[in-house]
This record gives sequence, C-alpha cells and structure tokens, in this order.
Amino acid sequence: MTASIPVAEACSCSDFRASRRKFLAGMGAGVGGAMVTNLIGDAFQQVAFGATAASPNIVVVLSLRGGADGLSMVVPHGDSGYEWARPRISVPKESLIARDTMFGLHPQFAPLQKMWDAGQFAAVHAVGLPAPNRSHFTAMEVVEDADPGSAERCGWINRLVGLSGGSDPAEGVQMGGAVVPTSLYGPAPVLGLNSLSDIMLPGTASEAVPHRRSLDQVWGTARGSLGQGVRSALDVTDHLGFLAQTAPKPQNGANYPTGNLGDALLNTATIIRAQIGTRVVTIDYGSWDMHVNLGTVQGGAMQAMVGELAQALSAFFTDLGTLGNRVTVVTISEFGRRVEENGDLGLDHGYGNCMLLLGGGVKGGYHAGWWPGLGSGKLIDGDLAVGRDYRSVFADVLASRLPDISIPQVFPGFTPESIGAMTRP
Amino acid sequence: MPTLAVSAMDAVADAASRAAVPTAHPADRHLLSRFSYGVTPAMVTDMRATGGSMPWLNRQLTTSRRDGFADSLLDWFPNMAYSPQVLWQRHQSGTYLGWMVMADLARWTLLRRIYSNNQVHEVMTDFWSNLLHVSAPADKPWPWRIRYDAMIRRHALGRFDDLLAAAITHPAMGCYLDNAESTKTQPNENLGRELLELHTVGVDAGYTEDEVKQSALLLTGYRVDIRRTWNAWYSNTDHYTGRLSVMGFTDANSYPDGRVTTRRYLNYLAHHPLTARRIARRLCVHFVSDDPSAALVTAVADAYSASGTDIASTLRALVQHPEFAASVGAKVRTPSEDAVATYRALGVQASRPTSDYSFANAILYQTQAMGQRPFDWPRPDGFPDVAECWTGVSRVLNSFQTHFLQGGSHYPDQQVVFRTPASWLPKLPASFGDVVDHVSRQLLARPANNTLTAAVSTRLGIAANTRIGSAADLPDWRMARILSSLLDTPAHMTR
Repeated sequence: MTASIPVAEACSCSDFRASRRKFLAGMGAGVGGAMVTNLIGDAFQQVAFGATAASPNIVVVLSLRGGADGLSMVVPHGDSGYEWARPRISVPKESLIARDTMFGLHPQFAPLQKMWDAGQFAAVHAVGLPAPNRSHFTAMEVVEDADPGSAERCGWINRLVGLSGGSDPAEGVQMGGAVVPTSLYGPAPVLGLNSLSDIMLPGTASEAVPHRRSLDQVWGTARGSLGQGVRSALDVTDHLGFLAQTAPKPQNGANYPTGNLGDALLNTATIIRAQIGTRVVTIDYGSWDMHVNLGTVQGGAMQAMVGELAQALSAFFTDLGTLGNRVTVVTISEFGRRVEENGDLGLDHGYGNCMLLLGGGVKGGYHAGWWPGLGSGKLIDGDLAVGRDYRSVFADVLASRLPDISIPQVFPGFTPESIGAMTRP
Repeated sequence: MPTLAVSAMDAVADAASRAAVPTAHPADRHLLSRFSYGVTPAMVTDMRATGGSMPWLNRQLTTSRRDGFADSLLDWFPNMAYSPQVLWQRHQSGTYLGWMVMADLARWTLLRRIYSNNQVHEVMTDFWSNLLHVSAPADKPWPWRIRYDAMIRRHALGRFDDLLAAAITHPAMGCYLDNAESTKTQPNENLGRELLELHTVGVDAGYTEDEVKQSALLLTGYRVDIRRTWNAWYSNTDHYTGRLSVMGFTDANSYPDGRVTTRRYLNYLAHHPLTARRIARRLCVHFVSDDPSAALVTAVADAYSASGTDIASTLRALVQHPEFAASVGAKVRTPSEDAVATYRALGVQASRPTSDYSFANAILYQTQAMGQRPFDWPRPDGFPDVAECWTGVSRVLNSFQTHFLQGGSHYPDQQVVFRTPASWLPKLPASFGDVVDHVSRQLLARPANNTLTAAVSTRLGIAANTRIGSAADLPDWRMARILSSLLDTPAHMTR
C-alpha cells in the first residue's frame, strides 16, 4: 500500500552513504563533491555532498527528565552526612561498584563496569545551575536555553548547530519522542525524529515525483514553524529516506533493553553508522521524579531506572564497536534531589547533582575536587550545593570533541571553570 | 483524459451543486474552527440556524445540544462504568487490566471529540484536563482517572474556583502528585508546589521554598488507600494544624478537619490576580496565538476576575477582542487535534468495536504513532500548546501518513463506514478545478484557492480546466489522492 519515496535521482544511495554531507546555503562550488540542486518554493538550496565537517565526533546528550537523584547514582559513601540523612533508602556501601574512599556507583551500573575499568566512564559530581531552582519546568528551560539574560528563545544545541552557517537539519537530532525539546528550539533547522522508520512519504513510487512537487507548491513559502518543519521534513525524505528502508539492526551482538531508551539509542547508533553529518543527538529518558518509592537496592524506581539506563548504554557502545571512540554520551538532569529522604521512601526536589560522561575522549573516574560536603552548614536549604556550573561540563566535552565550536557563542556570557573530565584534542 | 473547456451550461449546473455545500464566512469559520475539532458542513448549517458564530458560541456555552450518538459511545466501553474499587478488583483478578481501562478512556475521549455536537464543551474539557493534568496511563492515579475526567467535564463550562477545588482534592490528583500519601509528620511537597506553579499563580509569583512547604502542609489530610481498597477519605489525624501563610493567604488552621480551610485556600488562589493572568494567558495561547499580546491577556484576565472566575464570561471577552479575529490560521493543530479533525472532515462513521483493528479502538494507535495519545504526557505540566514543539520531522510525516491512510479508507478500516469516493463529486460534467473546489468546501469548509487547486493538479497530473465527464474519469484512488492532498495543507493542519 505504501512505499518510501526514493532518494533524489541526482545522487545514488551509496554515494550519499559514503560521504559526509552538508547543506551549504549559498556557498556555491569549491567545497568538493557533487552539487545537487533542490528547489524549495522560490529558494534554491544548494546541497553539497562530500564536504567534511571539522570533526567527525558526535555528542549524545541524554536528558534524565524529572530531577534524577545523583546521590543514589554516584553515591558519596565517604561523606557521613549521606547515610545519616537517608536511614531507609541509602545505597549500602558494600553494594557499590567502582568504589573508592569517597564515591561508588549504584550496583545497577554493573553493565558499564567494563567501560569504567577501561577509563571510558566518568562521573562529575556536585554540578548544576548557578542558583537553585526547584521547579522542574523552569529549571529545564534554564538548563536547555543556557543563555540567561536573553529573551530570545533559542536552545544551546540549536545555537551550536547554527554556528556552521549551514542549514543541514541532520546536524542536530532529537531521537525518540514527538516533542522537540527546548535545547533544540531556534532558527537553525533540526531533525526531530521519533524513529527512522518515519522518514517516508506515503504513496506509490510512481507517484513520488509529482507528490513531492505538489507538497513544494503548498509549503514552499508557508510561514511559521509549521512551514519550516514541513520543508525540513521534505528535505529529510529526499536525502535520508534510505534510513527508513530497513529496520535498524543492532551490531556486534548488542542487546538493547525493551523500551523507549533502547529504541532511541538503537536508532541513534544507526544514524551514526550512516554518517549523515550529525554532530549532536538529544534523547529524553524519564521520569526520575521520585517523590515516592525511590526505593532501595532491593526494589523501587531507582534500581529499575538505573538498570535500564546502564543496559541501554552498554548495548549502545557494544553496537557502535570501534565507532564508539567518536561518540561521547553526557547525561543532564534539571536538578538533584533533597539530601534527606521524605516519609514515602522518596526524595523531594533538590539542587546539586551529578553528570555522567561515557565514550570517546572521557577521562574515567570521579571528578569532584570541589565536593561541598553533606554536613551541617554545607547544604543549601537541605540540598547538595553546586561546586561547578553544568555548562562547564558541557564546555569540557565540546572543547574535547567538537573543538571548532565557539563555546562563548554556545554559552553566551559564561566563562567555563576547569573540570578535567575530558582529554584535549 | 481530454482537456476541454467547460461549457457555460456545465458551469451553471456546477454552481448550483456547489451552492448545496454550506461554507461559512471566513470570520465565522475562524471562530468555529478554534472552538471545535474541525468545522463540518453540518456545523455551518447549525451555526447559520442560530444566527451566526457568536450566537452559536453563546448557545454552546450555555445549553447542551442533543447528543444521542456521542452519549451512546459509553456503551462501547462498559468497563468505564465501574467504581475505582471494582476496577482494581478486576485488574487484580486479571479480568480487565488497568492499562486497558485507560486505553478505553482515551478512545472514548477521541470519539467524543469526533462526534459530539457539544464541541465547545469537548474543547474546554480538553483545555482544563491539560491544565490540571493527570497522566494516563499512570501507575497510581488510574483507578480514579475516569471519575476525574467526569469531574472536569462537569465543571468545564462553569467556574474555575469550583473546578480547581474539585481537582486538587480529587483522589486521582492526590495519587498523581503524592498528596494522598502526604501527612503532617511526613509531608510530601509535590502537589503543594505544582498547585502554585502549574495550576494557579505560576512560577514567577514570588513564593518562597518555605511557602511551598506550607502549601503542602495545608493540603495534608486527603488520603487514598493506594493498592489496597483505593477508598478515599479525609484523615483529621494526618492533617497538619497550626497557622499557615502562603502568597498572602493566612489562616489559623486550627481545626483537625482542614477541608474548610483548604477550600478557602484554593478559592483564594483561584481568585488571585496572578492566577487570572496565568489562566488568561493559557486561554489566549490555546485560542488566539502562540504569542498573545499583553493587552489581550489583560483584557481576558480582567473578565476572569470581574466574573468571579466564570469560564463562559472569560471566553466571551477573548473572542470579542480584535486580536482574536486577526489570528486566522495562526494555531498549528497538535497531532491528536489533526487526527480528530481528519476523521471529522472525512465524515467517517464508526460503529461498536469488535477487535483492536476496529476503528474505535485503532484510532488510539493512530494518534500514538502521530506522537500524541490523549492524556499520555508524562509530566504534570500538560502537553505543550505551541507550534514549535509540534513541528518536528516525525510529526509532519506521520500527519501526512494519517491523511493518506484515512483519505484512502485504508486504515483503520474495520467497523467503520467511509463516504464513497463518488459522494464527494459535484454534479458532472465539471472542470477538474471545480471538482477540487467542491471537495474542498465539504472537507475544509472553504473554497479551494489557487494554491490548493494547483497542488492537487500537480499531484494527480490533471490540469484544472480538464473536463470531468463522469465518475469514471476519477476512479476511487484518484479521489483518495484529492482528499489526502487537501488534508496535507496549512488549511487543515492549522485551526
């Protein structure tokens, strides 16, 4: 009944697959590679195949929505305040893995033990927003907009992909879920994808050309974000339609857990292998809003979610194989949670948190030289204080992996502090 | 196909047949479109009989229309009639599981949106349900979730102060945001905070963390026996007593039964000027544009306050503001709004479902594939209501997919009757352009402009002046493409 539209006649799939691609508006020839002209409304967009980006690396930003409790994931067992505040839900010291004198990982991180031992897994602790904000929705906006003082609604990943001056929607990809997150909002086109299988226009192959022309006629000059979204979608069907033709298959015996996170990472591994010019991928995984039944290592929401997270990331890097050296995963959550447990085996909203780094360029281990402590007088309204701004961690990753990116333009008005969790190129 | 100029006689005949499709004046269509899930010829007839779009809105706000078919839809989902306690027993015995009940609620809701004659009531139920969001399916609130929906329906065109009090103290909300487990000795801040941030004054209202805690303490006492009987009760022994102060509301709060104080607190918040602004802005974003002016928000907030939180008065002020009339086409349909509008436009007639493939059941999977199953937003802030969230690549292509599948009567196609392709045709012979125009008037309640006609012409490779002599000139698959082409346009994907 339906068939996918073939990729533009002017280039074959294999040319396309084998090359890195940029849509270079108005730059003309001289970039190298074949030029394809694609008429959209009145505007000619020149598409160059074979252009190379400054760096082949990819950053995957994994948003742990809902305020994940960093103290249960990267446990400060060496700080006496930890067990004291959580008589029922603290993670027992003897159950921790990768334990040093101060920290240890939740036991459900076991599938990532090999990456930890190989120095490819780092935990940066006591990081967060410059000032506490215990509202989920405001904190997420602030984290993802990352441009305090500017009224312009534009996310930091949109600014990042906009820096190349191109209009390639595949540079910034949201994978999984239908809603485009704040970090990707903005003027640069981005690719909001639930699944690669979505990249097709309905109808038979023989109708594909008139169908596509007809949609150009209707949408070529349509205003607003719907017009922009439809034009991006049509571009993407032209050039990435091949990705929908076969279901993504895990490689190297990777075994993804069932669920949205596993699906999104499998799709992400597939576009990374396809080398379509993607620089940043965002994935949402939540909810971590564990006011109730955060639980213990025997059972509860935390052990289940950390387990799925660790299995999915382990499968992702297994799937990528040696390509994994080019891929760095960073986790972020809008805030940490209260140090002291509440009456429902849960935790209310807090402040300081941890971020996890895995993959290429990572200097494994714990990074928390600024640990503020959990003792009396050290907490901010009952919450872990913040020793380093979360933007410093992203800046560390970008400087290492996407060194052509101007950090002052991605995080305006911000001077990163040293984190030291990434190698320098 | 021969290209022939249409004769003058044909043009006269065609004009006569076209006149049979009632289309609304653009200003009337705009109001009907914003306050419904899609304008149909029947709605236009109804609106004309009432005397115009404002009288139509007034009648929708004040009088319930006869709604036999939409009301009978409840019979298709018999499990929705059980009490929370019985739903839980049936879940535990494996007779009918919780996720199935929540699927029924979402299906029934979609069907009501398609078929109800009381479209304004459906639209406002959706709006308040999204403001006072309780996710479904969700682990804890589900046994009470159908009762919660019924409560919102009761208050959807009443007063916000009544609605707020009923929603915040409802067992479903208590289970969802943990107030059902919050006690004076072990308070849980979740609902106390979101009540301020999401449901009333808003995050910039200036309340402190200490006020969040006091808000939570005031709400203690509303308990639910979660995962045992699911009975809901007020527990004097769990209610915190002692003076409390939040956002200028102060109360000695000295009685063990805190329900009267709670009602006073919720009433105070409902009438707070910052709540008026927040509710007004949400309404303007939903019914006018993604970025409403401060003047419009102020006008609507003033009407809200002056009327004592009366919903109908507030909406009247909104549509009477010039910014409303100037906002034609400015709102992008969300995926599930697009799906419902598609079923309405095509006039599909569902019947009682017999399997997962039946239309009444499968539309749930269709909206899920499009990215917006009713009620499944996982956070308490409700689905986003602005275009920039809903214009990603997957959303666009999945909408096109749905228009194609429904326009061609392909899927879902069980226990449903589609209009015959021939029924869309005008009196023949007619030019192809006039055929497109005639279909557009029925499908989109508007004539086809040059862009729409050209797009359909291109898609089918038939010039607009081509003579269509008989139905045989436009076989079924071609009519299917005309329908889906017209649905793949801003005229259908905005409201």
